Amino acid sequence: MDWHQLWEIVSTPDNIPIVALLFLIPFYTWYGLRQARANDRLLGDLENDPQKAKTHHRKTFPYKPGWPREVHVWPFLMRIEFLAAIIVTALLIVWSITLNAPLEEPANPNLTMNPAKAPWYFLGLQEMLVYFDPWIAGVLFPTLIIIGLMAIPYVDANPLGNGYYTFRQRPVAILAFCFGFLGLWVLLIIIGTFIRGPGWMWFWPGETWDHNRLIFEVNRDLPDIVGITGSAGKIVFGGMVVGFYYLLAGLLVHKVMTINEFTRKIYRRMSLLQYLTIQFFAVTMLGLPVKILLRQLFRIKYVWVTPWFNV
Amino acid sequence: MPDQPHDDPIVGRSLSGPLLVASLILLATLAWALYDEFYGLRPWKDYQQHFVHLYTQHLQERIQEQSAAEEELRRSPDYQRLEQALEEARAGVAPEVERIDREVNDLNRRISALTDVFATARGQVTAMIYEAETSPAEEDKEQILEEVERIRRQGFDARLPVPDGTMETLHYTYDELEDEYDQLRERRAFLLAHRVEVTQHVKELEEQRQTYRNQHIIGLAETQLRGLLTEARNLELEIKQIHVQDTELVDRCESCHLGVLEGRRVGIELTAAGIGGERLFASHPAPELLAIHDPERFGCSPCHGGNGRAISSPIQAHGRYRHWLWPLSYPENYQAGCQQCHARDMVLEHAGVLNRGKELYRLRGCIGCHRYEGFDNEPERLQAVRLQMRELELQRAGYELEIQRSIQRAENPDTPLEEARRLFARATNLRVTISNLEAEQEQLQLRARDLMREIKLVGPNLKDVRLKLRRDWIPVWLHNPHAFRPTTKMPRFRLQEEEIRAISAFIWQSGTSGEMPPQPRGDPGRGRELFETHGCLACHALGEGEDAVGSRFAANLSRVGEKVNYDYLVRWIHNPRQRTRPYCPREKRDLTPEDYAKHGLPFRFDFEHSTCPNDGAELQVQNMTVMPSLRLTWAEARDIATFLLTQRSQAPETYAGADFMDDPGLFERGQSLVRNYGCAGCHEIAGLEEEERIGTDLTTEGSKPIERIDFALLTHQAEREGWYNHAGFFERKLADPAIFDQGKVKEPLERLRMPQPNLTDADITALTTFLLGSVESGYGFPPQYIYQPTDRGRDIQEGWWIVTKYNCMGCHQIRIGQPSMLMTLPRYQTPEGREKLPPSLIGVGARLDPEWLAAFLANPALSAANLHRNGVRSYLEVRMPTFGFTVREIQTLVRFFGALSGQAQPYIRPQLEPLTNREWVMARELFTHPAAPCLRCHATGDPLHDRNATAPNFLLVKERLKPGWTRRWILDPASIIPGTAMPSGLFRRQGNRWVFSGPLPPSLRDYRGDHAELLVRYMFYLTRQEQRRLSARLASPGSVESRRISLNLVESH
Repeated sequence: MDWHQLWEIVSTPDNIPIVALLFLIPFYTWYGLRQARANDRLLGDLENDPQKAKTHHRKTFPYKPGWPREVHVWPFLMRIEFLAAIIVTALLIVWSITLNAPLEEPANPNLTMNPAKAPWYFLGLQEMLVYFDPWIAGVLFPTLIIIGLMAIPYVDANPLGNGYYTFRQRPVAILAFCFGFLGLWVLLIIIGTFIRGPGWMWFWPGETWDHNRLIFEVNRDLPDIVGITGSAGKIVFGGMVVGFYYLLAGLLVHKVMTINEFTRKIYRRMSLLQYLTIQFFAVTMLGLPVKILLRQLFRIKYVWVTPWFNV
Repeated sequence: MPDQPHDDPIVGRSLSGPLLVASLILLATLAWALYDEFYGLRPWKDYQQHFVHLYTQHLQERIQEQSAAEEELRRSPDYQRLEQALEEARAGVAPEVERIDREVNDLNRRISALTDVFATARGQVTAMIYEAETSPAEEDKEQILEEVERIRRQGFDARLPVPDGTMETLHYTYDELEDEYDQLRERRAFLLAHRVEVTQHVKELEEQRQTYRNQHIIGLAETQLRGLLTEARNLELEIKQIHVQDTELVDRCESCHLGVLEGRRVGIELTAAGIGGERLFASHPAPELLAIHDPERFGCSPCHGGNGRAISSPIQAHGRYRHWLWPLSYPENYQAGCQQCHARDMVLEHAGVLNRGKELYRLRGCIGCHRYEGFDNEPERLQAVRLQMRELELQRAGYELEIQRSIQRAENPDTPLEEARRLFARATNLRVTISNLEAEQEQLQLRARDLMREIKLVGPNLKDVRLKLRRDWIPVWLHNPHAFRPTTKMPRFRLQEEEIRAISAFIWQSGTSGEMPPQPRGDPGRGRELFETHGCLACHALGEGEDAVGSRFAANLSRVGEKVNYDYLVRWIHNPRQRTRPYCPREKRDLTPEDYAKHGLPFRFDFEHSTCPNDGAELQVQNMTVMPSLRLTWAEARDIATFLLTQRSQAPETYAGADFMDDPGLFERGQSLVRNYGCAGCHEIAGLEEEERIGTDLTTEGSKPIERIDFALLTHQAEREGWYNHAGFFERKLADPAIFDQGKVKEPLERLRMPQPNLTDADITALTTFLLGSVESGYGFPPQYIYQPTDRGRDIQEGWWIVTKYNCMGCHQIRIGQPSMLMTLPRYQTPEGREKLPPSLIGVGARLDPEWLAAFLANPALSAANLHRNGVRSYLEVRMPTFGFTVREIQTLVRFFGALSGQAQPYIRPQLEPLTNREWVMARELFTHPAAPCLRCHATGDPLHDRNATAPNFLLVKERLKPGWTRRWILDPASIIPGTAMPSGLFRRQGNRWVFSGPLPPSLRDYRGDHAELLVRYMFYLTRQEQRRLSARLASPGSVESRRISLNLVESH
């Protein structure tokens, strides 16, 4: 166990946000879900007890009798936000005094740094480069992510859950978010920061980042494993596999979207366009971990090999 | 259960408590930020305050000392006399000065009053004239000019002070005003000039007093010190920086190192002890270096490294962090900074460590494997010259073809006349061009020949092993050369037993076989005497370990008797450059007598017979060793060889037999190993003459990115222990070249090949310093700073490479303060011994006629007939050897010595006025004067006399010396060569001329010329007959007595 190495990674000024991320994200996820559960329980109570629903004024937990149904933003929200602003400002000042900007030596085009890492918030993107073509990982996916995020308000057919924490009223949306943000984006950033060492090789925490490390890994394309050699054959075969995946994953997504009465109700509210958009983005997003697993577990480089792009 | 109303925590609870706490925290962080901004990030403020404190203390101490010294001075009678004279003079001129001052004062008041009026008037007039000039309408112009004229005539009122203190009002026209103004100013100028005249004497006396003060008081005056004290007390706390505009260099080192330039700027050298033990504030320890590298122009960081702009902490400023590529050098490697710009200098003043590093690089054979630009680059240059020759050849062929074509076309009847003429002219011009090319080709050919002769190898020629060495000794040597000879250049290779056997066998079998002509034994006693007196110890040493006497330039010969073949040794000592076989670079092999016989030629090869009989290529006709020929007789060579044979600590017969060396089965394995280990980098080995160097080029190793330097498995250890940098790598690699193989699993031939050089710590530091400074142009410093001298500087630069190559400094002193090797030997410590030392070469460029020097360097015997002597100083036992210099080397050396003495080139011999008959007589009298009997010590060519001579023959003067130097020499030889046997004080100054110090002979009494000058002219016109006549006149004994007289003369002066 190389504690020195671990300390070096953790203490690099660049990595401080990610170390913080390690604790903050689970905490706030837990905190949000806790609130959602309490609200859900209250909602359940109110549903079961129409009388109570009439006398209770707040749909959110905690609630005590005598509390006003609504409070004004000014001053009640503003003063809390102001307090938060003060605390964060103080924190940022202390941070900026104690840690300097991580400037390095003048760039040398003949000698690039190893590992050469993107800013922490882009490390997820960089990690994707391991699994896909630069064009797909670097251009297509980021574009899809942005478009997908932009599309959310338009494809969201669920009118509930605005302004309070709830899980029961938005299970699919929350699951999709947790999967996409926590399971993919944050995880990839953490891998990019703590796991990827010189040569973008996989180093478990505590392993020494040895520049001279040699590992033996052979990645092969799926068509090669199956024994398809011709390029036309590869194109057709890869296309079929990908198509098959989309079909299979689409079924899975559909299953999730219609898993219970509530989700089915939402599903029925959707237009075809909304449904297909959700399907496309969800299936594509699912494709990422599938590809990661294919690579990490089976050492498969590409599934679909064409002269123009590889998937 | 009905719900009880509760208070809403959001509405009901006050947040003032948390808000107050948070605000206080924010305020505290703001305070922290401000503190950090003003102090935390500006540690130099503290340093500056601390400096002010220490410096004022220091100055106060100095002021006390100085005021005591000045007080004492003021009390001295001399000073008081000066003071009194000054007072008297002042009193004498006081009334006149006072009168002048009064008048000037009045004038000043009047002028200043008038200036106002005059300036207004002039302003008004010139503005109107400008208006007239630029006015477009002619009538307007005239109108304005009329107006101007009117104003000028109308005049102005001026209220002027009168000397008695009242004011008067005067009226002037414009012209009158101008005149009055000029007159007043003239009068004032006159008065001021007059005042200077009147006080001239006072000024002189003041200067005298000041001079006296300066002569008797060291350092700054008390008033100056007080000025500095005030300045120090009022020191502004600010960033102090050097900004060099041309190179965009900004160095703020002085913001903390406040005293570093104090010595240079105000003449106060601060030592750490003097300034409260703070090394940080001490003055730069080498002011002489700053004198040639003005900090205002060079800054600090180009030499020292570090981040000159950073001032937020010492670590930042010193650049001692991972991302600063040019950190401050460690003190032991400071001179790496010199190398950055002075890479082309082999010897550098003030850089002893670096010089040692460069010397080691060449001497220890690093150059055999690692190319370094400038070092031993003859083969490269030879290749370049050959390439150039080929290009010229092609060019010439092209021209010849063009001539042919031009003529053909010109002779064609269809060609118009004009065109034909042009073509003929063109052909003619091309012919002339070709003749020029021929001259160029000839020079290149000579150059190629010279370069071939200049190629020297670090190790001996291994083709001669069979002739030279005992077979059984070779494996023992290969096993560990340092065990046999601890100081050897030969490094220890990490060889397996099997490898040693194969290499020995290959070397042995590839050697030239044959027999050396047998030599009879000589006299070892005489051999030892010759060895110790002829200068062998300037390069070689005898004795082991601490007892070793002599130089480490070449081999320590203590055990040479165990390994060497006597017959070969005699031949080697007689002339080490003499090869057994010539080498043909075109056929890539040594020629045999059969090759010559085939062409009906005798087997003869030397500089006159240096072309290959087979293909006409230029041959390598000498051994590639720097060891020169001492021009010994065969008998002498035999004596020395016999003596050397006695140098052994075990009998050669006790070495274990090594019959395997004749096993032909080992040959190929041996050859591949020899190739792998790069033996041919240092040795000449049959079949491997054209091998390339096997190591990395180190010319810019110091700027190689650290990531490209292979610390192998020690990378992390190095990072943790703080030596993950260039210095750490070099030091460890030099101490143990195998270190970076540690823990690696490698095939034997893939292991690091660098052998163990057996260096001391000081040597390692020197080499590390050299390598650290070996950087790309502009690596951390502005490339404009690279030293690229012209003329004199370049001559010096080039010369040092040759001087160090042949170890001239083993025998001669060349730099002031540098002892030669021989000067340190016990034999030369007595006064008699010192007279037997080879001459010091300081100032030799001013002394010697360059043409003569060139001839002397080519043949130091100065005689074709008798080679076994010193051409100039026949009385010296140390022999000036024949180095076999090439023309280029001689030219370089002659220019070098000239440049060291600041001589103009080329040298044109001045014509001296011939002596009149009377002058001949007088000069003779002087020359043979009993108080200065020149011929007592100087050689005359008479063997009987020259036995006791300790100075050169006068007949050489005319060809050899420069008259100017000769004159300076006879006036004061001790200042040119301290400790010389030549007496000083032979002449004394009388007015503008020098006269002889001894009792003047009658003929000279009424001579008005310069005696020294006369003697110089005499020497330059001295002939053999004249000298013989003088010798006869001086035949009487009494040399001791006459020397005593001259010594008395010295003492009396």
